[in-house]
Amino acid sequence: MSFSSQYPILLEAVPLAFAALCPIVGMWKRKLCFPFSVAGVLATNFFIFSLWGKVTSTNTVTYALGGWRPPFGIQIRIDYVGLFIASIIGAVGLLVLIYSWRYVSHELEEEKCTYYYTLYLLLFASMLGFTVTGDIFNMFVFMEIFSIASYALVGITGQRRAVRAALKYLLMGATSSIIVLLAIAFLYGTVGSLNMEDIAGRLQVGGYTSVAGVALVLFLIGFAVKAALFPVHVWLPDAHSIAPSPISAVLSALVIKMGVLGILRIFFTVYTPGFADLSGTWNALTQAVAWCAAISIVLASIMAIIQRDFKVMIAYSSIAHIGYILLGVCMLTDRGLTGGLYNILAHALGKSCFFLVAGAIIYKHGFRRITSLRGLGRSMPVTAGAFAVASLSIVGLPPSAGFIAKWYILWGCLQKHQYAFVVMVLLGSLLAAVYCFRVVYYMFFVGPYGDGIDEAPATMFVPAASLAAGTLFFGIFATLILPSLGSAARALLAG
Amino acid sequence: MRKAIVVLALVGIGVMLIYAVGEMPPMGDSGNPDKVHIAPRYLEHGEEEAGASNVITAVILNYRGYDTMGEVAVIFCALCAVVAILNREKPGLSRTSMDVSGVKASVVVRTTIRFLVPVIIFFAVYIILHGESTPGGGFQGGAIIGASIILFTLAFGLPESTRKLPLRFRIPLESFAVIAFLAAGFTGIVFGVHFLTYLMPGLSEYAAETIRHIMMMVIEIGIGFAGGIIFTSIMFAMIREDQCELQPDSP
Repeated sequence: MSFSSQYPILLEAVPLAFAALCPIVGMWKRKLCFPFSVAGVLATNFFIFSLWGKVTSTNTVTYALGGWRPPFGIQIRIDYVGLFIASIIGAVGLLVLIYSWRYVSHELEEEKCTYYYTLYLLLFASMLGFTVTGDIFNMFVFMEIFSIASYALVGITGQRRAVRAALKYLLMGATSSIIVLLAIAFLYGTVGSLNMEDIAGRLQVGGYTSVAGVALVLFLIGFAVKAALFPVHVWLPDAHSIAPSPISAVLSALVIKMGVLGILRIFFTVYTPGFADLSGTWNALTQAVAWCAAISIVLASIMAIIQRDFKVMIAYSSIAHIGYILLGVCMLTDRGLTGGLYNILAHALGKSCFFLVAGAIIYKHGFRRITSLRGLGRSMPVTAGAFAVASLSIVGLPPSAGFIAKWYILWGCLQKHQYAFVVMVLLGSLLAAVYCFRVVYYMFFVGPYGDGIDEAPATMFVPAASLAAGTLFFGIFATLILPSLGSAARALLAG
Repeated sequence: MRKAIVVLALVGIGVMLIYAVGEMPPMGDSGNPDKVHIAPRYLEHGEEEAGASNVITAVILNYRGYDTMGEVAVIFCALCAVVAILNREKPGLSRTSMDVSGVKASVVVRTTIRFLVPVIIFFAVYIILHGESTPGGGFQGGAIIGASIILFTLAFGLPESTRKLPLRFRIPLESFAVIAFLAAGFTGIVFGVHFLTYLMPGLSEYAAETIRHIMMMVIEIGIGFAGGIIFTSIMFAMIREDQCELQPDSP
């Protein structure tokens, strides 16, 4: 076996190895933890991006762990969608890690920094593992790792409020994990297999379909909590706003997307769309998710407008964007699904930029209220400029990636003649314009202006600015990914 | 209103679950899907293919070894979570009753525990090493090791325990299980086979089986000792944190 055919496993095993060694490095020299983890994330990025050529030429890359044939052993299965999301994780994870350096040494006690980087690497490795696995129980295992790591990172400052938010997140997250585990147990009891494709094949054979239907509902509930969809989103505003800003960025940009990816995998790979015996349940559930998503969009946008705290506002906006993604997915047309997937990219770039900007302002001035952002456009031009550019993407104006994503989602709704959803998406965008441009207005057009430039450190504004530039890049050069994303969407819909 | 919605949702989920359990395949029936699809292969070929006469160990370490690596990482992650939020123990701040009052546990208790702890650890090592052929293995043995150290701490206090198990000794051991798994995996990659393959190609049958045996042993021992030390470290971190709640009580 050539070394390059080992990349599918190396992209999870390498960051995990760095995570396991990080406390030992920290015990030796605490200052080395940061360069050590950057090295790990860089190596992982190399493996992820080297896989692009192979995946675009062969569609799926599989890897059998331990050499066992799939239903007997665990299989890694990287398709286009998986690699697309893995690349987002790699790139955003690297930028946020670089940003963390100054922020963490400023905010956390020195003793905690080692474990901050360890948990960050564990979070990074497990999200990648979750993205590329082809086995539902393996998916659950990685879900546990990234959930525990994110509970801990939310509460890492040890302040009373942070620990309370982390506990709330823990209670909801652990319940949803148990629900997913129960669903896996039901499914295993009815088909006797854990490999996704094998389950799909054995479900077609039939038998015990009612149990499989209940398992589908449980999967949906479990992953909806992880994704923070409307009725079960209550943990998100606290957890995302109180966490340290780089962690808020990762949670919003990547961790909640794992819930969406779980729903995608279950709905399109395990229970395929054309599956006859369960199609009633399947269609009813996608309809229900579409309505929850639409309500998410409007309700969360309204909640974002009435917030006074900058970070809470951004957190509510994340709930709205999960709504856009799932609404696009549940339209079950190739355009809608492409738009939903593209919004994963657009939102990951835009929202992590928002949180990094918020973090830079907190680092510099300690402000959290929107009204106190007056005049920052003068004193922190790069940071405020990055916010302004990223807000184009969050609102969905051209020429940004968010525009392309919303355009395709609207197109998907129109293909299905769902005019109510069209109205809700447009209303959500209008409300987003209100809450984003209000901040831009305070930053650039309201005095008093300080004299001179007082910018955050370069390791903080460069990641924020590159994420903002990324939203523009993927808006202008959208054709780089859109055609293959469209064919990936059609492949998902075909089952 | 809120309570009504919660009750309604719970009743809905409950009815759904009861319905699903009623529809499940009959319990213990030999024709069930989970007994005819992949399980027979594990039972029939587990010992020769996977190298462990205890089929459960064969599945845990070999067929689905990657999941076990994930589970080990979950335990490691839990330790990191506790330590990140509560910090490591500070022996001076211990609030176990004897550290607070300065009164040592009675000589009977201390002597008994001095005798018991080595025996318990010996039993744990047996459980770890014998997991290959009888029920047991790293996770169970690790729990017993952790329990024995906690017992020692209860009798002798935190300062004594941390002197016996200093931090610079515990930190490498905590990562040991994940590292052992990854080392086994990367050995496969060096030999040019899949990650977590235990039988290396290009060796005589005897050498390959010996190497497989050694790798499985190292992983079991790694899980056992790392697990035990992780439980200990979590308990040490929590002893210190009890201070906040215990403070008003002590005179």
